[in-house]
Amino acid sequence: MTTPATTSPNERQIGRFSLRSFRAKFMLVVGAAVLFDLALAGGIGIWNVQRLSRDATQQVGDGLTTATEEYLQTYIDTTAFRADLLIERVHSELATLATTMQTLIDHPEIQDAVGDTVAGSPEFSSPLAYDAKGGWAQNGAGVPSAVSVWGYLLDENRQPVPKAAEELKKSAFLSLVGPSMMATGAPKLQIYYVGPKDASIMRATPYSEQAQTFDLLYPGHNEGPNFWDFFFPGVYEGWQGWIDDPSSKPVDSNIVTTAPYVDAITGELIVSFFHPLWSGDRKELAGMVAVDITLEQLTSLVESLEISETGFGFLAMSDGNVVATNSIGEETLGLVSTDVSGQGVTGVNRNLKESSQGAIASLELNATHDTVIEHIFLDQGGEEVPYLLVLKQLNPTNLWDGAGITSETMTLGFVVSEREIYQSLIDATDNISAATARILNYQIIAFFFSIVVVFLAVYAISGRITKGLSRLADAARALQNKDYSVRVEIPTRDEVAAVGLAFNRMAEEISYHTENLENLVEERTRKLETANSEIVALNARLKSENSRLGAELDVARRIQEMVLPRRSELEVIPQIEIAAFMEPADEVGGDYYDVLFDGEHIKVGIGDVTGHGLESGVLMLMVQSVALALQEKGDRDPVAFLDVLNRAVYKNITRTRSDKHLTLAFVDYFEGKVTLSGQHEEVLIIRANGETERIDTIDLGFPVGLEEDISPFVATLVMPFGPEDILILHTDGITEAENEKGEMFGIDRLSESAHENRLKSAKGIAEAVITDVKSHIGGYKVFDDITLVVLKHR
Amino acid sequence: MEISTNDYRVWTEGSTIHYEGTMRLSGTDAYAPILEAMNSILASKPELITLDLTSLEFLNSSGINLLAKFTIEIRKQPEVGVRVLGSKSIPWQSKSLRNLQRLHPALELTIS
Repeated sequence: MTTPATTSPNERQIGRFSLRSFRAKFMLVVGAAVLFDLALAGGIGIWNVQRLSRDATQQVGDGLTTATEEYLQTYIDTTAFRADLLIERVHSELATLATTMQTLIDHPEIQDAVGDTVAGSPEFSSPLAYDAKGGWAQNGAGVPSAVSVWGYLLDENRQPVPKAAEELKKSAFLSLVGPSMMATGAPKLQIYYVGPKDASIMRATPYSEQAQTFDLLYPGHNEGPNFWDFFFPGVYEGWQGWIDDPSSKPVDSNIVTTAPYVDAITGELIVSFFHPLWSGDRKELAGMVAVDITLEQLTSLVESLEISETGFGFLAMSDGNVVATNSIGEETLGLVSTDVSGQGVTGVNRNLKESSQGAIASLELNATHDTVIEHIFLDQGGEEVPYLLVLKQLNPTNLWDGAGITSETMTLGFVVSEREIYQSLIDATDNISAATARILNYQIIAFFFSIVVVFLAVYAISGRITKGLSRLADAARALQNKDYSVRVEIPTRDEVAAVGLAFNRMAEEISYHTENLENLVEERTRKLETANSEIVALNARLKSENSRLGAELDVARRIQEMVLPRRSELEVIPQIEIAAFMEPADEVGGDYYDVLFDGEHIKVGIGDVTGHGLESGVLMLMVQSVALALQEKGDRDPVAFLDVLNRAVYKNITRTRSDKHLTLAFVDYFEGKVTLSGQHEEVLIIRANGETERIDTIDLGFPVGLEEDISPFVATLVMPFGPEDILILHTDGITEAENEKGEMFGIDRLSESAHENRLKSAKGIAEAVITDVKSHIGGYKVFDDITLVVLKHR
Repeated sequence: MEISTNDYRVWTEGSTIHYEGTMRLSGTDAYAPILEAMNSILASKPELITLDLTSLEFLNSSGINLLAKFTIEIRKQPEVGVRVLGSKSIPWQSKSLRNLQRLHPALELTIS
């Protein structure tokens, strides 16, 4: 028989490269292990590289920051030093002039002589000429210095008042030294002398038409009261204060500086340095010498600072006004220029405090003389850009602030974009990042390369390893498709090879069995046939045996029925009403009862032969025959009767080599008396008055057929038996009838049942008792013959 | 020796034979193995054979016949004593066992 090989979903064919194949699993496991290993190693590598790059960046950054800050500090210190030097140079030149002039003041005779001499020389001095338009007197050109006597210092003759004339003489010395001073030292715009308040003439070198210029620029200056109060209010009083209290000097220097202002003549940003002159007794001011310089040198120093590409310097007054910075600085610092008009001179204001950059506007300029480095953020087109701000204060000076003399400390500042400083660092970081990325890329490439190599290797190796298994699987599939010739060849010497060997052996066996199946079937069939014929024969024998046994039983039953007394026999008996009931068990037992009546005597026998079947039946027949014979013979002695019966039966049993015996008892009735003899079950007597007597028959006899002579054991019991008295005989089939629980019916139930029905006829009593027995048995098995004989006196 | 079924058990301890349960065997043939065991003890001629029936609830007539026949066999060998142990609470014993003593007066019957 062949059926097409079908595959259920559970045993789908596993392809060689299916994910469920052993090889795929093997490769997956090894691949996953390698993948994990590589990923771990790669991850650690990348992490280390990244950490290295981070650390390197940090260190380089720190180093760069330190170096940059040190550089900037040195640079700003140097620059501040240079700026201070520039100012100091002007200061010292002015101080030299002032000291010389002071010496002349302290020596009036020499001053007079020098004045007279200079005034007398046309080379150095020219006569005053009154200018009607301006209302002042000024010397003519062609001499080293121009001297102006303001209208309020002229008398009615338009000649200088004596005091002014004296000042003209005193100041003549300037013509002598002024040109040489102008020609040497720091570049100066002009050197000039101003007399004391009561004679504030002005002499300046080189010569210029200064009064005309003043008229043009500062109208009303010629009205007085004096030069000081018009141009520099507060300075004079400041100096006077110093005389009274030298400690009121804001800075330990006699020189007072103006804030930078736009020069009326040149248009340049200029600064004036004033040096006071004292009277000989040092109690009064005697005027001053002053120098005007452009800030060009200072501003060019600041503006030309080169601090990286977009870095710049600035110089700010303590009030935040920036006096010098370049255009980048102005833009970066967010400065707004505003013109400031003051009394006398015009200034310029580009104040840090008004910067559009918050970080700049809030700068503290006067905090310390030390160099300060700050990191700030400036807004660059909406972006917060980090900047490095370095501040350094210049030496303090006395400043005329337009009202009085205060201390002024200018601050030099450097501003550098941190991005620029750290550009190299950023570049380095970028390089490191690039290197890291490169390493990462190499790692990834190496990783995939490794994976490919490993997978190829694993694939190759797994092929070898799983080859045996694949072959086994193929062979098993072939076997499934009923190709029993298949054998596997496994070259390895491992467990798979062992399985292969076993498989081959099994395949061989299957092959053998399959190929020899027909022979085997034939052989088996033959064996079965033989067995069958044996069974048939046995069955036939069994059947004949059964029928024999059945026949035997039939015979036994027949004998039992045959020897029992007929109902008609019983009905004719006077005095005693006798009812008998016998029901054989499935296997006929050996119950016996008989009623013998010879017209006078009634003899009722009851017995139970051991065992069942034909032999028991025959023994019963034997007993019945002997009893009947003895009764017919008229043997009235119950003891002799039993003795003879026993001898006959015993001898017959011995002859027939039977091993059976029986219990047997008789009840003889004659003239109101019953005589009991023989050993059997208890005999029940229910008297007419309802009293019940149970008579044990053990001592009245002995089993029949067991011993040759039982006469020593046989006895009789004579009892009255009157009208309505009832006597009941039974076999153990009644008392030993069991119900499902194994409970026997028992003599007590029998006694009760009979007693309850005692008023009925003998037949009625028998029927009632049997009904009770049967209801007790219920559906349970009937083990033994049931026999009941009821005698009732009529 | 021990013969055991769901209903009964017969076993020997030395020259004592114990019977237990309900013996309702169908005939002499069925009792043959038990008789054989009993005879084999008798064959060894012990001084005293004890039949312990105190736990034998029921014995049918074929069984009683067996005991009677065995008693007759013992009787033929006066040097072998026999003792039968019975129980008063079992009805068939008090009735049937006395017959054994009648068969063989030397039989020692104890019904307790």
